Amino acid sequence: MTDNGFDRRDFLKVLGWGGAAVALSGCGYTSVEDGREIVTSYSEPAEYVIPSIGVYFNSTCAQCDAACNIMGRVREGRVLKLEGNPESAVNRGKMCGLGQAGVQHHYNPDRIREPLLRNGDKGEAITWDKALELIAAKLDGVTGEQVAFVTGTMSGHVGVLLKNYLAVLGSTNHYAYDAVSPSVARAANKKAYGVEMPRLRLDKAKVIISFGADFLGAWVSPVHFSQQYAQFRKHVLCPVEETAIGGRGVLVQIESKMTLTGANADRWLAIRPGTEGIFALGLINALGVAGLKISSDAAAAAKSYTVERVSADTGISAEQINKLAALLKERAPSLVIAGSAAEGYAHGSQNAAAIALLNQVLGNVGKTVEAPSVVPFPQVAPTVGNRFALQALNDGMAQGKFKVLFNYGVNPVFTAPASMKLSENLAKVPFKVVFAHYMDETALQADLVLPLDSALEDWATVVPEYVAEGAQLNIQQPLMEKLYPGTRGMGDILLGLLKQRRPDEYKYEDFYAYMRNALVQNKSALGGAGADDDTFWTSTLSNGLVKLPGGQGKLSGKASTAGLALPAPAAADSAYPLHLIPAVSASLRDGRHANLPWLQESPDPLTTIVWDSWVEIHPKTAAKLGIVEGDIVEVAGKNGAIKAQAYLFPGIHPDAISMPLGNGHEAMGRYAKNIGVNVFKILDPVYDKETGELAMHETRVKVSKTGQRVVIVKDEGAVGGKQMGKKIAVRVSSDKIDLSGEV
Amino acid sequence: MYRFFRLSVLLAGFFVATGSYAADAMPPLTTADDLGPKVDQPIEFPHDRHAGDAAKGGMEINCMYCHTYARRSIVAGIPPLQKCIGCHQSIDSVRETPRIKQLFEYWEGSKDGKIAAKTPVPWKKVHDLPDFVRFNHERHIQRFHFQQDKPVQEVCAYCHGDVKTMTVARRSKSLSMGWCASCHEKDHPVDATSTMTTQGPNDCWQCHK
Repeated sequence: MTDNGFDRRDFLKVLGWGGAAVALSGCGYTSVEDGREIVTSYSEPAEYVIPSIGVYFNSTCAQCDAACNIMGRVREGRVLKLEGNPESAVNRGKMCGLGQAGVQHHYNPDRIREPLLRNGDKGEAITWDKALELIAAKLDGVTGEQVAFVTGTMSGHVGVLLKNYLAVLGSTNHYAYDAVSPSVARAANKKAYGVEMPRLRLDKAKVIISFGADFLGAWVSPVHFSQQYAQFRKHVLCPVEETAIGGRGVLVQIESKMTLTGANADRWLAIRPGTEGIFALGLINALGVAGLKISSDAAAAAKSYTVERVSADTGISAEQINKLAALLKERAPSLVIAGSAAEGYAHGSQNAAAIALLNQVLGNVGKTVEAPSVVPFPQVAPTVGNRFALQALNDGMAQGKFKVLFNYGVNPVFTAPASMKLSENLAKVPFKVVFAHYMDETALQADLVLPLDSALEDWATVVPEYVAEGAQLNIQQPLMEKLYPGTRGMGDILLGLLKQRRPDEYKYEDFYAYMRNALVQNKSALGGAGADDDTFWTSTLSNGLVKLPGGQGKLSGKASTAGLALPAPAAADSAYPLHLIPAVSASLRDGRHANLPWLQESPDPLTTIVWDSWVEIHPKTAAKLGIVEGDIVEVAGKNGAIKAQAYLFPGIHPDAISMPLGNGHEAMGRYAKNIGVNVFKILDPVYDKETGELAMHETRVKVSKTGQRVVIVKDEGAVGGKQMGKKIAVRVSSDKIDLSGEV
Repeated sequence: MYRFFRLSVLLAGFFVATGSYAADAMPPLTTADDLGPKVDQPIEFPHDRHAGDAAKGGMEINCMYCHTYARRSIVAGIPPLQKCIGCHQSIDSVRETPRIKQLFEYWEGSKDGKIAAKTPVPWKKVHDLPDFVRFNHERHIQRFHFQQDKPVQEVCAYCHGDVKTMTVARRSKSLSMGWCASCHEKDHPVDATSTMTTQGPNDCWQCHK
């Protein structure tokens, strides 16, 4: 510019005059398109179809494993918005933001549109027939044990077809994997109550003590728990008659990093990471001291956990422990929940067992911890995912056990810690088939990528793991025509694969026909006795769910003190002084939703940060390290280092830092790629001693400044802002509250 | 000054180029008599034959018989293909005329296989408003036809012109904001018998939502 003797100012002058001239010459462009645009009419519309007026169809949300029942508003053949189905026992007509974003999975521009076969670094489009033939060819001469199938949680008729397909192949290698599932708590529940997931009656508890269970955010069935929580906050229900009798329930959240549930609690106690079990035993001891009748074995197990010792170990004051014990003794029934914070350690099972013991001591079992209904059709019951499955799969791949691998619904290359070397081990499998919606990290390593229908285009039945009343079979049905002709539903793919092997047994035209036949055949057990097939089927689809006549289950186990041995609080590690707490965000979860702009754009409820990763660090710790908000810090552990912006946050234990999971994708489309960092990668390979689950909270790190600083993109104002001179949100530290009024 | 001149020439050239491109692509939308462009439809649909006066050979079919959504929805919609076939499959007298043969090609599929069975006819839109304008057909039909008891052909004609005399419809009103407002400013009786009058809404957000 300067060479030509032309500067910015001149340029703007000319541009201004030019623009004015164009405006004067009347470039009257509007979007009116008389006689150009084609208006497409219906050819044979259903009677209820009126253009511009929405019609609602029932289906099932596929955004998380809670499997809420939803209705989609469909207008002119397009699904526009989702609402909750009021008939549902899971969500009773409500929905969460994560569920709302389901339409963005459907309309996502980065969806894969046709089968892709690896050719060097590229994927070459092939036909479905060719893809299925190729799978048949690769399976030829391969024994069943050389085939592995990795999935997320599976249930319903797609789950049945998968089981049948594996049986036909002679394979037992079904790895149900869920990177952030409460699997340690499930195992502890199984021991203590005889069921993996008892019904938790938040609405009947006068006091809830939650050890890091984020039941309002990302834990098990958040929409359902939110409704129970609302009841709990208004009037606690009578345990017998279920009428509102009590006053407002009290929620105490004990965790090292504040979750959304913690932010709603009456009392939030920051506990030293990993000492949750000690605290539970300390409460049992304090309850005994306060005069509660406690069984002799529980009393013996808790005897050495005096208030002083527990206070020293957990960092929670003796006064708080005594007050909490008094509160629990005064107000029964209560409910104690072991969440991901308690179970995320090498002694996670022990923590969960101690918490289950506390529930038993308080007499909550049978009152606020209830037995779930029995699903009458065990073959459609959910196979829930856990983290141990990935270790087992990884070991198998490292030994070269597998010749063919199928991957559906999970992204293990993204969620596996770097120390597992999963990516390298995956490369040892000669033929990898990935069923995917997007080219995510795992699909990029595949030899064959098969594109799936979105959850709003596909047929399925889903049995939720957690249902508050009875048992329920959810119907997932297409809310609109497929966007791309080249995608297929998982049910149809499995049926196609089964047809290759057993053409005589599977004569169904498609998965729809299979599913219809399966339900219609059992109509008398599904509440359709006496109805003709078409009537039963139409009403089932219209309802979007079938209430199953499930028998009431029983709680059988007993929380035992045998083998309950809690380690002393972890010693300080001078090289890596801080605990890393990977936080499960209510919207991104294990990272599968990172490509939904609505969710990236929704501010994190506690920090209000959008479109990025961050490091939550206590102001005192930050001051020690000389870190201020927006500093790019390096978080380094034994298994890698990542860099992110620091966010000073009082809702965290000074010995810990927290980073949200879900971002840091290297692939998965334009909205996810290169946003933030992947915390999964640096997790230390420490496992729960009983279940073998990866202990998510065991990673130790050090934090150092890199010298760079950014302005954090967030919704909130400056920390300690004046709130316009008004006391809008008053904050008082927990030791300054007079708790005597609560008891 | 030279440098100033040089950039001006460049920019002028640019605007002339884009301007002439836009002029080519966009025939004038509104002529002096408010007539819209002539639109070539895939089938030259004779509105006069269907809706025209009996004295002139028309059948006086109610507009709402085919445009059935107009009274129930903000959009009038285009009659579904099924509607055309519903009558024409039992009108043998015109079954072999060129336009009806063409119509049935959309329903049954063409012999050369170019048109699949039950393909909607790709009609061209004749009356279009910018996307920032929300016009509600239902409100207008309910008000003028059902409440004030005006003949439906008159009510439709307020905006669409005398369609019953046309073959293929052609826009005959400007559909500009001033034109809309000119009617909204008039006093209209609230129903067929009342002497009370009221004007159309003049809030911006009624149309610009």
